[in-house]
Amino acid sequence: MPRILSRRSIGAALLGALPLAAFAQAAPAPTGTLTVAFASESTAIDPIKISAGVDHYFVGQLFEMLVRPNAQLEQENWLAESWTLEQSADGKPVIDVRLRQGVKFHNGDPMTAEDIEFSWQRQRDPKKSFFSHNVASVERIEIIDPHHLKIHFKEPDASFVAGGLQIWVMPKKYIEQVGEEEFARKPVGTGPWKFVSRSVKEELRLEAFEDYWHPTKRPGVKELVIKIIPEDLTRVSAFKTGRVDWIDNVPPAMVEEFKKMPGVKTQTVVSGNNLFINFNTHMPKSPFNDVRVRQAAAHAIDVDAIIKRVLFGEGERYAQVGKGSAGYDPELKPYAYDQKRARELLKEAGYPNGFDIPCYNLTTPREPNVKEVGEAMFAYLSSVGIRCQVRNLEYGAWISLGKRGRSGPPEMDGVLSWMWSQGLPGDPGTPWVGHLHSFQPGTGLGTYSYTNDPEADALVMEQRRTMDPAARAEILKKLARLKQERAIGGIPTYRPLVTFAWRDKLDYTPWPVRDYWRVFQEVGWKQQ
Amino acid sequence: MAESTTPDTALAGALSPASTPARVRSRAAELPWFSLSVFAVLLVCAIGGELLFPHDPNALDLGLAFAPPAWQAGGSWAYALGTDNLGRDVLTRIMAGTRISLVVALYAIVISGGIGTVVGMIAGYVGGRVDTVLMRLVDIQMSIPALALALVLAAVLGPGFETVVIVIVVTYWTWYARIVRGEVLSLKERDYVALAKVAGCGTCTIFRRHLLPNILNTLLVLATLQVGQVIIFEASLSFLGLGIQQPDVSWGLMLADARNYISNAWWVITLPGIAIMLTCLASNLLGDWLRDRFDPKRRQL
Amino acid sequence: MNISRRLLHSLISILGASVIIFVISRLSGDPVSLLLPSDAPPDAIEATRQHLGLDKPVLVQYLYFLGRALTGDFGDSYRWQVPAIDLILERLPATIELSIAALLFSVAIAIPFGVFSALHRGSWFDRFGKVFAMLGQAMPNFWVGLLLILFFAVQLQWLPAFGRESWSSLVLPAIALGWYPVAAQTRIVRSAMLDVLESDYVRMGRAMGVPERVLIWKYALRNAAIPLITILGVYFAAMLGGAFVVEVIFAWPGVGRTVVEAVFSRDFPVVQAGVMLTSVLFVASNLLVDLSYGLIDPRIRHG
Repeated sequence: MPRILSRRSIGAALLGALPLAAFAQAAPAPTGTLTVAFASESTAIDPIKISAGVDHYFVGQLFEMLVRPNAQLEQENWLAESWTLEQSADGKPVIDVRLRQGVKFHNGDPMTAEDIEFSWQRQRDPKKSFFSHNVASVERIEIIDPHHLKIHFKEPDASFVAGGLQIWVMPKKYIEQVGEEEFARKPVGTGPWKFVSRSVKEELRLEAFEDYWHPTKRPGVKELVIKIIPEDLTRVSAFKTGRVDWIDNVPPAMVEEFKKMPGVKTQTVVSGNNLFINFNTHMPKSPFNDVRVRQAAAHAIDVDAIIKRVLFGEGERYAQVGKGSAGYDPELKPYAYDQKRARELLKEAGYPNGFDIPCYNLTTPREPNVKEVGEAMFAYLSSVGIRCQVRNLEYGAWISLGKRGRSGPPEMDGVLSWMWSQGLPGDPGTPWVGHLHSFQPGTGLGTYSYTNDPEADALVMEQRRTMDPAARAEILKKLARLKQERAIGGIPTYRPLVTFAWRDKLDYTPWPVRDYWRVFQEVGWKQQ
Repeated sequence: MAESTTPDTALAGALSPASTPARVRSRAAELPWFSLSVFAVLLVCAIGGELLFPHDPNALDLGLAFAPPAWQAGGSWAYALGTDNLGRDVLTRIMAGTRISLVVALYAIVISGGIGTVVGMIAGYVGGRVDTVLMRLVDIQMSIPALALALVLAAVLGPGFETVVIVIVVTYWTWYARIVRGEVLSLKERDYVALAKVAGCGTCTIFRRHLLPNILNTLLVLATLQVGQVIIFEASLSFLGLGIQQPDVSWGLMLADARNYISNAWWVITLPGIAIMLTCLASNLLGDWLRDRFDPKRRQL
Repeated sequence: MNISRRLLHSLISILGASVIIFVISRLSGDPVSLLLPSDAPPDAIEATRQHLGLDKPVLVQYLYFLGRALTGDFGDSYRWQVPAIDLILERLPATIELSIAALLFSVAIAIPFGVFSALHRGSWFDRFGKVFAMLGQAMPNFWVGLLLILFFAVQLQWLPAFGRESWSSLVLPAIALGWYPVAAQTRIVRSAMLDVLESDYVRMGRAMGVPERVLIWKYALRNAAIPLITILGVYFAAMLGGAFVVEVIFAWPGVGRTVVEAVFSRDFPVVQAGVMLTSVLFVASNLLVDLSYGLIDPRIRHG
């Protein structure tokens, strides 16, 4: 009798099969739990409900975009396998996108071009989504086949590319099935983490997505618990006592201590945020309508001292655009600290005794010590005569206050501490559309702007239309200089550095999503 | 004891500090030196203001942040009580806070006292339905805990000096109303009031000439005792961030600023609190003394 | 005053509190601006207007508000998109736990100290107690909390300062919250004891040869208990409402802290829900005190 299945042949067959299995599951199954603590909490986990930066902390664990920055801050094709910029017959830009194969949503549905089109439709509706203007320049999405689509633009939009083809990919079938509300409660995306549960103000529970598409850059931990601990000392103590194994926003005063702590690793990154103060120059009677008063404010604040003392060095100055981003100009220097000059300017402008003005300060630790920095800045303003009546605002109220075109009170009637970010490092294109271009209701232009300068408006729109990076950089530099001279669109203050800390036995690589950190793309417990 | 206010009067009795039994204390002749000197200092700081401050209360100098008090290593007499996290002089800020505290206390006590007294007099004198309704209002008002009421009001009105005064007035007028009503109830049975009525004096005159002088003592004691309470309440509101805002200075606000620096700077946490404590103590002792002087047997306050 | 009358009074108080809260919420002129973020989309604003019945007379609006409040519907926290009442109820146990702990602490100190002071009137212990009581009642409880943190958590590192993780986290907040009651109650116990000890009743007992120990612990303390229990009840009720600041300092996850945060988030539905609930509890506690007072001292029952 011929021995068809001899032991040896079975063995050979098995050996032959092994490499395939190895490809199919390159990483071992995730195990263990990781408990982390954030200082600020996202309000939303539905991507279109993102109303402010911190919302990316949660959304970024569950959802992904077509292109994204990787851990080395390079734009990497992500859900898009490849894409090219073309021009259509009538001269308008078209982005041809080939989608990655084999990407699944958390509920098992495969990702197709239909989901991209659906996601865009969902995101562009201003009644539902706060950042509809990010995708407003898209005219339509043409589906060629399940993994091939073309994005047709109404007009050139350089920031669309800079923003990583900024469409959050959401599951069409699932949302149509369960409805909007249910989706907002139990979101489903393509990201490395699956939603398990959420307890508002307390924690978010996630589970590693077993069918996640990326073979290597994926979580090695099975469960992720994100706790929310806004008080600095409490968060630090939770880390020290072992209740959590990873924290963000190490208080600047303790960064040195953490760096020296045994068994602890830290990483300090530029948070990607650019902080500045803005003025109510949209009100006819505002003292800040006079450029000299704005310049006085710029001269009044000793930002270097604030960085040194209040931030313990965890910050860097910038003139208008940070180092490394498009439009950075090393020749441009921030306003010098000169209180005498400030007082002179105020006197020239007709305020020899200064004036009283409300000053709005953010108290939530969106960036480390942002409340204390705000207080110091306003104290400096007060000391030259711009007497700040400090009004403290929590994150949600603060975001609300800064927005133009609202239906009701309160009015932004004074000095507002604000921030912008777009990519890492920050590309000022879209942000300047937001807070430098004058406010035009219904267009998405100037949603956070109190400035009305036609020359600046023209330059902002020009840089947006210029797709060639070199030409665009020149326009941005020109705009930055104009912005600096006229002190419009606010006065830049500093760019924060943020430090994360985690246990040595945790293998963690910081990954950003868009311009925000705190995404657990690559994390795992070291095998001992 | 038809309208049993037992828990309330007991509370009032308990709130009177160091409540002594109904024994006559033979200390009426002694002046409350401690209280008087504390108040003298406070008044001097409040009135003298800028003339007396060693520094500008809002002048910041980040280079000098967290300088310890003069008697510790690293301190200097230029900044006798040390500096806070922005390098501002603690002593100056404590002195500056005096004015705010006393002004708030003044406004609050005068206004709440005024409203409460009027309501109490009407309720006590007129009696009947009016009394029931007014006292029911007082009960309702007091069914919302003071700080909770303050939070709701602050949520609508926004933080600030006016809000603090309004909140305190709304909270404290009920005490005056209740106590004045009690006084008037017992007074109105007296002969001279009956005589005045017979003689045809209008209600207003009776209020003004016969009732008011007699409750003045009670009012004075209550007002003095309230100074401490009001200052603590204002400090609590400012501490939470709902009261006095920068650039004004309040002791409660100083404590709020210092909260994050408990580990670095013990003096910023301790010294403003001592100011609050001494003021409250002074007011309590003075109120005690006044009460003993006017009528040592009285425990109703 | 019998039970039903007191119950009626309490109900009126709660109703009145709801009126006050309703009126305050209309003070700002546009309640929609209170209940929604100012950048809310137009259809959300329209929906809220309908919901509040803003086109209807004020009385009808109040009835809407009351009707919903009775079912616990205070609207959604617009910051967190969950029902406001849920946020408050989830944190209620923490506040009650803290209040009870503070109460127990205050009693545990006040009774022995008060009795001892009464028995040894004039001694250094008594005088020290008097000074302590005076100082204690002059210190704001949030400052006490900060000092406790400074001393026990930072300097000595004996106890945790923040959060609600273990039994030891309860210690410092309870002491801070119970500080003022301790100071006040010690004196009350003391003076009540003194009153009783000098009363005819006790003097007779002494004359008849009843042992001193029995006199103190059986008769005197029981009589002193009446004002003490009254005050305990009042303080418990006050603590429920007044624990706000202590909760904030110690990051205690209770109702107070949530309401304070809501004020800063301009999240009025949560503020409304929190204050309303606190008032209901406050009135209920006072009612219980009244009723139990009547039980303890039969003389008062039909006062």
